[in-house]
Amino acid sequence: MNERKLPPQLIRLVILTVAILGLYGLARFFLTPPSFGELGFYRALALEEATLRSPVFAGQKACDECHSDTIKKVAKAEHKTVSCESCHGPGRAHVENPEVKMGAIFCVRCHGVDPARSAWIKQVDPKKHYAGQRCAECHVPHQPSEVP
Amino acid sequence: MDAELTNLVYYVPPHVDGYVYPNEQNLLWSTLIVVYPYITGLVAGAFIMASLVRVFKVKALEPVYRLSMLTSLAFLLCAPLPLLFHLGHPERCLQIMMTPHLSSPMAMFGFVYAWYMMAVLLLELWFDYRRDFVAWSANVRGLRGILYRILTLGVHDVSEQALRLDDRMGKIISLVGIPSAFLLHGYVGFIFGSIKANPWWGNVLMPIIFIFSAIVSGISLCVLMYLLLNWARRQAQDINCLDAMGKFLFYALVVDASLEALDWIHRLYAAEESIHILKSLAAGRLFYTLLVGQVCLGTAVPLVILGGLQLFSRHVVPQVRQHLYTLSAALILFGVLAMRWNVVIGGQLFSKSLRGFTTYKMELAGHEGWLMSIALLVLPFIILGVLVKLFLPQKSPVTRTETGAAVSQAA
Amino acid sequence: MPCAPPTQRGTMIGKGYTRRKSLVALAGAAAGFLVMAPARKARAAVQKLFTSTGAPKGYDPTQHKWLMAINIERCIGCGLCVEACKKENHVPPQPTYFRTWIERYIIKKPRPGQAAVQGETVVDSPNGGAGGFPPCEIPREEILKAFYVPKLCNLCEHSPCTQSCPVGATFDTPDGAVLVDPKYCIGCGFCIQACPYGCRYFNPYTRTADKCSLCYHRITRGLRPACVEVCPAEARLFGDLKNMGPDDPIAKLVRTNKLHTLKPHLGTEPRVLYAGLDKEVR
Repeated sequence: MNERKLPPQLIRLVILTVAILGLYGLARFFLTPPSFGELGFYRALALEEATLRSPVFAGQKACDECHSDTIKKVAKAEHKTVSCESCHGPGRAHVENPEVKMGAIFCVRCHGVDPARSAWIKQVDPKKHYAGQRCAECHVPHQPSEVP
Repeated sequence: MDAELTNLVYYVPPHVDGYVYPNEQNLLWSTLIVVYPYITGLVAGAFIMASLVRVFKVKALEPVYRLSMLTSLAFLLCAPLPLLFHLGHPERCLQIMMTPHLSSPMAMFGFVYAWYMMAVLLLELWFDYRRDFVAWSANVRGLRGILYRILTLGVHDVSEQALRLDDRMGKIISLVGIPSAFLLHGYVGFIFGSIKANPWWGNVLMPIIFIFSAIVSGISLCVLMYLLLNWARRQAQDINCLDAMGKFLFYALVVDASLEALDWIHRLYAAEESIHILKSLAAGRLFYTLLVGQVCLGTAVPLVILGGLQLFSRHVVPQVRQHLYTLSAALILFGVLAMRWNVVIGGQLFSKSLRGFTTYKMELAGHEGWLMSIALLVLPFIILGVLVKLFLPQKSPVTRTETGAAVSQAA
Repeated sequence: MPCAPPTQRGTMIGKGYTRRKSLVALAGAAAGFLVMAPARKARAAVQKLFTSTGAPKGYDPTQHKWLMAINIERCIGCGLCVEACKKENHVPPQPTYFRTWIERYIIKKPRPGQAAVQGETVVDSPNGGAGGFPPCEIPREEILKAFYVPKLCNLCEHSPCTQSCPVGATFDTPDGAVLVDPKYCIGCGFCIQACPYGCRYFNPYTRTADKCSLCYHRITRGLRPACVEVCPAEARLFGDLKNMGPDDPIAKLVRTNKLHTLKPHLGTEPRVLYAGLDKEVR
């Protein structure tokens, strides 16, 4: 047997190996998504796609456009750390169409007595504290120290 | 977007004891992920068994060499299926080979699997069977004949030189195949061992324990397949082969048991923060699968039986020895499956807050249900049946000549 | 640059330069060139981003490094953040998927005769805290102290989740968030298992991994994340480390509090800062 020539079984195997590796290379070239690897090991377009969702909550600034008086009053009182949407819920729909009504949460959500609640927030037991009456009878939500 | 409404129409939360993080209430990795390491373990173990013949020249195991290789192949063909069924997006599975993230052990899967399948198992089988393919392609007609002709890859050289080359290549591949088999199953162990977030999984011994329990399960499977094949063909069981398999099974089981014992001894001794919840896990949620299934039935009982047989085999009739090997192999296979369950499911049953447990609500049907897992465990045996029909003809024991080339005694 | 001693072996190419030094200089220049090219490419890639309609124009991720900080003393457990997050990000409504949640820790008094500073710790998070917490079943007299702990993605510097993703579907953004690419994720769940903080879940609708995105679609438009927006108690603080003045709430928190992070021993280097964290919190 000629020393230089590979035995037939090995030749076939080498051909097969080259074919398989070539196929893999081609697949890799065509199937890697565009923008992959530009910023890191990920599709760089995913960064943009993550921003495409529309916000549901409008943000305090959006409320400020029409309700700046109320916001100024709130900012002077104890609820200055509370944003409009905390109590009134997501505002996007209302910003786009002011006809859409906004609700309000029940005050006990934050002010109900709870042993795990820090002492800095005033807490009441709704069963004992004027049970049955609306909070707004005696309290002004935007300026808690005032009386209505 | 289509939702999986079957579970979402009426949601029943699993029973939680103590506190688990809200996202941990439902288990993510199901019985499919229990079945996958089991299957790759059997692949690796059967191959190691076969390599005992090729590399370590254990003559007594000759009769089971080809069966072990075919078993390894049958299970290897089914190995990606549990993973594919488990993926949220199986149609994107090729991405793991197109953009493999090199820091992730799971990204190795595509390459290790392809390497092991093509460069180790199929190649070694081809070199071993080449002479027979050439012979059969000349004699057999019909579809089977076409198959054999294709498998010769157009090479019909069966001279003495070519056969010597075949044998040498087979030995080299077998030698390379041993670390490849370790890699195929060891990376699965590393997937678990690398998760530092989970104290049940994330430790150094995990890949090694996986490898040795794989070897143990693979040898047991070969024992059972050999017994089954001979019984089905009404051939005599070769008791020397069984004794040799039993011997290696015993040694492997001793190492495996020692490693698992070491794991527990170290955990209990070092007593890190997680030890309390892990002890509760082992004694509580995992009592039947771990203490009864894996330790007692799957390890201790086979150790006693096989150890006893090593010491007293002269006093035991071959018939009884055969039954004892059957029993031990079956118990070990069951025990190793229990071990995979304990690792995969057990690791998700307790919270990473170390404060509570959840429950695994196993589905019956559905692509992650246990019917699917059973089907995936049965499928390799069906494939093995086909392979045996095609490649292990009746009444053709294979022996090796002095040069080591494989010779069928009857074509 | 100090000259190499003339006794050094190697050809003297010029005054004070040996072959070794010039090779090193050449290698350094080549390395610099190699690094410059990808850096320039990355900057070009960033400038190409956010060009489609609907994307925030003019936002440069390399100019910001966002951070969230939690002040445990201030959290009142109202759960508005949990609800807001679910609404904002369309998180599946089932009581088991959360991008952020609140845990209530109740530390009981030690039993009479028990030589300990505190008794049993009871932790719960009913529905993640959304809708507020139901009244505590443990009587007031038995409670030593109790507090709420908001949890979310810890924005790890060495996130184990991005390390473990096999395809590159979850990544660290240049501006400090950790995002999932839902179009590329194959849903293997490895990242969910790898997160030590339990902040990831498998979204049954998209069948991909999902997690807190730091409301990326909001912060790139100059808004605050939804949870920060609705928090009434200034328990969640959000800021930009690259544009932080001394009056920034996070700067003030850092100056006036001892800070903690969750599970620092795991080496993930979580960036979310906790002020006032108790030893019982995991």
